[in-house]
Amino acid sequence: MITHDHHSTSGDAISETRPRRISFAEVRARIGEPEDLIKGKIHDRLDRYCRRFIAHSPFLAMATSDATGLPDSSPRGDYPGFVKVLDERTLAIPDRPGNKLADSFRNLAENDGIGLMFVIPGMREVLRVNGRAYPTDEPDVLARMRTEGKEAELAIVVELTEVFFHCGRALIRSRLWDPASQALAEELPSMGEIAIDQMGLDDADPTVLEEMLEDDYRHLY
Amino acid sequence: MQRTILEKAEPVAEGAVSLLLRGADGPLAPWEPGAHIDLALPNWLTRQYSLCGNPADRDTYRVAVRHDRLSRGGSEYIHLFLNEGRTLDVSVPRNNFPLLPAPEYQFLAGGIGITPIVPMLTAAVEAGASATLVYVGRSLATMPFADELRAAHGSRVRIHTTEQHGRPDFAAEAAALSPRALVYCCGPTSMLDAAEAAFPAQQLHIEHFRPVAKEFAPNKPFDVRCARSGRTVRVSAEDSMLDALNHAGFRIPSGCREGVCGSCEIALVDGEPEHRDDIGAPPGRMYCCVSRALSSDLTVDL
Repeated sequence: MITHDHHSTSGDAISETRPRRISFAEVRARIGEPEDLIKGKIHDRLDRYCRRFIAHSPFLAMATSDATGLPDSSPRGDYPGFVKVLDERTLAIPDRPGNKLADSFRNLAENDGIGLMFVIPGMREVLRVNGRAYPTDEPDVLARMRTEGKEAELAIVVELTEVFFHCGRALIRSRLWDPASQALAEELPSMGEIAIDQMGLDDADPTVLEEMLEDDYRHLY
Repeated sequence: MQRTILEKAEPVAEGAVSLLLRGADGPLAPWEPGAHIDLALPNWLTRQYSLCGNPADRDTYRVAVRHDRLSRGGSEYIHLFLNEGRTLDVSVPRNNFPLLPAPEYQFLAGGIGITPIVPMLTAAVEAGASATLVYVGRSLATMPFADELRAAHGSRVRIHTTEQHGRPDFAAEAAALSPRALVYCCGPTSMLDAAEAAFPAQQLHIEHFRPVAKEFAPNKPFDVRCARSGRTVRVSAEDSMLDALNHAGFRIPSGCREGVCGSCEIALVDGEPEHRDDIGAPPGRMYCCVSRALSSDLTVDL
């Protein structure tokens, strides 16, 4: 087990002088203008390709932000197609049991903007959906999310304003779907070890925490 | 599991398609009328569909699927995303709705509930029994296989459209029923309820394709003694027996996980089970995805 990571303080010197901030005009000057073809890829409704993508996506990152604009990104995942397409401009995302912090719901109550990034394992391109969202307990929506005999208690309805495919360069560079990349996970201590160190529980046994976590992970619905 | 290729997906009524699945590795497992298969979909969902083709044809299975407005991802996937030519894994057929021998049969089908009834009616006629079918649907256009059935069985088939004629009068059907007849009914919950209210229980066989809403006492933990392996597995109140057994290393198959398909059937040796399924477990059997224990422990053949 790890106690203290001896590399942890070596990068902190940078806090003395912040990296310099540049304007958007300078950013634009560096990266250039997008081609018209790229601008034209943004649509305001789901076509059959977007629907097929969502129907095969088991994972998305959901970004929301609070009234001050402070953002938060939250992972959502289930069987492919767990996000339901209600019509060509409306989606519904089930809310499954989690940590009960309800960060996304609190954000949506203050600021209804939402950004989604859908991912399909093995696919380099991702689908991005932006729009406005609100929570619902509509029975006909929740009924479509029933899994293993359990209904979702809540769902997030997304009224989309833009949808587009995002190119695969980031996923190619990251080797995200290369099975060899999974060896990266071995470079991290276990979550039990991390939790004990983060919470200062020096006497605790990490394997006990890990068993508790594994037991928790068995009840996904 | 058996590997099949989706040879044809074609509309058979408004909102209903039939799928013709050809065995990819030679003849498919045999089946009898009333049987269903699990169909493993590319979106990881497994769904149960009654076989509605010809049992003598060992090369293909036929099923029919209605696009459910409140689809959880099975029928919607089949209707919107499944392409012909794709390989699909299907289970060996199971029969929770077998056709028992009788001199007379009254079949009642509602909408897509016609699927198990199609081969049952043919088998009953071929066996020389007197058989009639009341086939209920909103309108003719929404009723799969209506033409096929009338062509094959003529006046034995009575089509009843509720848009024109309202609900069928099952009480009148029941009054005219021969005491020697068996009644087989498959359809929406409202129709199954009406059949249960009208027909004598000992003559009626029904098939659910959706769990019936039921109330049970709160879950209690119990122990499962596994007679063959000598192991004991604790099932907590939050766990299903299926999950606890699988977590303990037993490999119990499962399909619907809500007590309608029967894939997770296990043999019960001792103890008092609490059956929560909609199949009606035969003596000495239980469906461990939903069923639990009334006694503090159960002994099973594992």
